[in-house]
Amino acid sequence: MIGPVLRRAWREVRELTALVLRASALLLAMRLRRAVFVRQAYEVGYRSVSFLAITMGFIGMIMVLQSGYQAARLIGDYSLLGPAFIQLLVREFAPTIGAMMLATRVGAGIAAELGSMAVTEQLDALRLTGTDPVEELVVPRLAACAVMVPALIVLAGAFSELAGLLTARLVFEVPYAVFWDLRLLTYGDVIVGAAKAVVFGLVIPLVSAHAGLGAQRGSEGVGLATTRAVINTSMSIIFLDFVLNVVLYPVYAR
Amino acid sequence: MSAAASEPSSGPASNRGRGLLAAVAGLGRAALDFARELGALALFFARILARLVPPRFDRDELLRAGERFGWQSAPIVAVTALFTGGIMVMQSLPYVDQLQAMRLLPWAASFATLREVGPVLIGLMFSGRVGSNNTAELGTMVVTEQVDALRLLAIDPFQLLVAPRFLAMVVMMVALTILGDAFAVLGAMLTASAMAGMEMFQFVMLMREQITLSDLASGLVKAGFFGASIAVVSCYFGLRAQGGAVGVGRAVNASVVGSAVGIVVLDGLVTVVMGGG
Repeated sequence: MIGPVLRRAWREVRELTALVLRASALLLAMRLRRAVFVRQAYEVGYRSVSFLAITMGFIGMIMVLQSGYQAARLIGDYSLLGPAFIQLLVREFAPTIGAMMLATRVGAGIAAELGSMAVTEQLDALRLTGTDPVEELVVPRLAACAVMVPALIVLAGAFSELAGLLTARLVFEVPYAVFWDLRLLTYGDVIVGAAKAVVFGLVIPLVSAHAGLGAQRGSEGVGLATTRAVINTSMSIIFLDFVLNVVLYPVYAR
Repeated sequence: MSAAASEPSSGPASNRGRGLLAAVAGLGRAALDFARELGALALFFARILARLVPPRFDRDELLRAGERFGWQSAPIVAVTALFTGGIMVMQSLPYVDQLQAMRLLPWAASFATLREVGPVLIGLMFSGRVGSNNTAELGTMVVTEQVDALRLLAIDPFQLLVAPRFLAMVVMMVALTILGDAFAVLGAMLTASAMAGMEMFQFVMLMREQITLSDLASGLVKAGFFGASIAVVSCYFGLRAQGGAVGVGRAVNASVVGSAVGIVVLDGLVTVVMGGG
């Protein structure tokens, strides 16, 4: 039971490492298909905005509601609600929950697209014409996500903060100026949040492209590849978030 | 060659002159699409309910699906929850440290995990594993015309496939959240002892004082709602798949995105209705 699982995990890690090295080498050599990159940046960036606005808006509203109820019960004072909310948002929830949301939207999209190409033998066709699928397909998506995911995570935080601001005003009658208070936010928090956003921007395209390229066996294979992309990406995000929290603890804990 | 590889480059801003009008029209179209999708989902849900009350569905499929969903997602839920518990400890540690109230650490870490972060993250993982798998399976059955074959045999796919899976997902989502809560507390305990030097026994004792049953129950109620929305969305997009392998991929994509929206929207509604209780 354990043996095959470990072997499979080891093979996944090996293949993924190979893909990471190959894609980054090509990217560093600036072997980038610009037209595909621009199209992917539009696809990843612009087309995810409304999805993020809805999901992260609700997340912001829920978090302020939950912590507002607790503040009312425990201290009866809302003055710390806004400062603590934006601090947690910047260093934890905007990058992590935002990236989890993007894993479902962007990661599944990449895997479904590459998986469909794999099972309809378009990847083989590319190889026959002497085109490298990694250069043609993975590198532009990697570059697009590396630029767009951090930008989207900033937007995700903005949507949450805005929803939180409105919720605090409407439900707990906290004035905007009291809620919008950056006194707890430090450069450390911003650095940690930015580091997470950058890392997740690389993880999402690489892990899901790997899942998509490995698709086999017809329509069932595409479905499985998409599933694997979402799961592997989300698990990588949670795991790396944990690791980054441990490593960067001195940076944000002061 | 697919659309991604060849480039008919018609960017978003090709029609600058009528940009504003186009934006308004686009907004209206999006709103109409959204309303249409929401209505279709509501009708789909009603059709599932009609098979559940009075119960007219395949009981064997209920047990089969329940067992499969549980086994499929138990490991990833456990791992996710373990790390989530750890993450929440590290995020609350600076606050309790600053307030010099280390005894509040178990509360700070597990309150939000049990009520909010745990169910939402477990829901996202469940949707990624079980929901998308379900969509892929139903979608494959549709594009290979197996669902049509069922209808030809006068077998109702809702009774045979959809209704039992709906029930199985609601039950398993609650069960997995209980499992996840246990692992999240374990992760929190381990992290608290490693990073803050808090004895595990002490952590449990403090948590027993600080965490109430309603914190746990509130998370489980949400989990049930998330399971229902994942089931409806994933079955809906699966049965609507068309156009071979590409269509199945697209259906899975739509299903996970729809489930994520469903989870946060329901989370918001339930939070508002329960009002912190």
